[in-house]
Amino acid sequence: MKNSQLYKGSLNTIIMRLLEEKGRMYGYEITQKVKEITQGELNITEGALYPALHKLEAEGLLDVEVEKVDNRMRKYYKLTEKGTTETVNRLAELEEFIKNMQNIVNPKLSY
Amino acid sequence: MKLSEQQIEQLYTFTRQHYVEWYDLQTELVDHLANAIEAEWKQNPKLTFEEALHLEFKKFGVFGFMDVVEKREAVLNKKYSRLVLSELKNFFSIPKIVLTFLAIGIVFYMLKSFQESFLILQILFVLTALACLIGLWSLSRNIKRNNKQSGKKWLFKDIIFGYGSFTGFINLPIQFSIHFEGINYSEWFLLVCSFLLIVFILLEYIVLVLIPSKAEEYLLATYPEYEIAS
Repeated sequence: MKNSQLYKGSLNTIIMRLLEEKGRMYGYEITQKVKEITQGELNITEGALYPALHKLEAEGLLDVEVEKVDNRMRKYYKLTEKGTTETVNRLAELEEFIKNMQNIVNPKLSY
Repeated sequence: MKLSEQQIEQLYTFTRQHYVEWYDLQTELVDHLANAIEAEWKQNPKLTFEEALHLEFKKFGVFGFMDVVEKREAVLNKKYSRLVLSELKNFFSIPKIVLTFLAIGIVFYMLKSFQESFLILQILFVLTALACLIGLWSLSRNIKRNNKQSGKKWLFKDIIFGYGSFTGFINLPIQFSIHFEGINYSEWFLLVCSFLLIVFILLEYIVLVLIPSKAEEYLLATYPEYEIAS
């Protein structure tokens, strides 16, 4: 993952945001979607994605569905009701963070 | 190009060879690898199945699937602990709390009146520990037989049937029986002992009887694929 330290703390929020938009997704689809949106800049590693998904699931923020696709089983993740509410909170938090960082990196001096 | 059924089987074997014992995790990783290989083929159709697999596996890093497995274990162990605690809480809410307190009262009364003949009490504590051992042994035998029959292992099932983190509790009654010496203890001390013993017995019941008896229900809730696969 590029600049992994900076992105690491936001991985859960990224996943939740994508699920909010797409409804339900499977692991591989999430990695590809992130790559596509960021034009290859952000590459979520498999070793980070699945633990994050499993943790969110255990916290009751995600729900799973399994379907048979092309002679194999596919596990889909989607937001629970609690997860949907939490996504709104976390996105607000992230936006606040971005705003603060912008102010620090690029301060507007008022005097 | 799509992967054949035989290649999917090969992927399952591959995950097993890389220390992923559990079917639930294998399934997720197999789908991931299969998607990745199919995508790889689109860009580079000349690659063989093995070459594409090797390429994709490398992306998991030097530790391979280990990270995913370890974190999954941690998450499910936590889930199990929460389950046990919530069942324990049931015994401390109406109506069961009446019985719980009654039991604590009886043990307290016994401790108080039999302090001198502590041998009886020691035997009681040892019996509790023995019951725990026997229960654990029988559970682990069940799960081994069950896994052999279905040929699939489920992580949460393994946790429920004996890999639970509560097994260390067996030490508690043993310590009780060792350190109980029949001296005149204060009533508060005896009350705490009674409370701990009852909590221990409740935990023993929850871990060894209650949760395993509802195992199917928990497994279906954890794994939507459980019904399809078993």
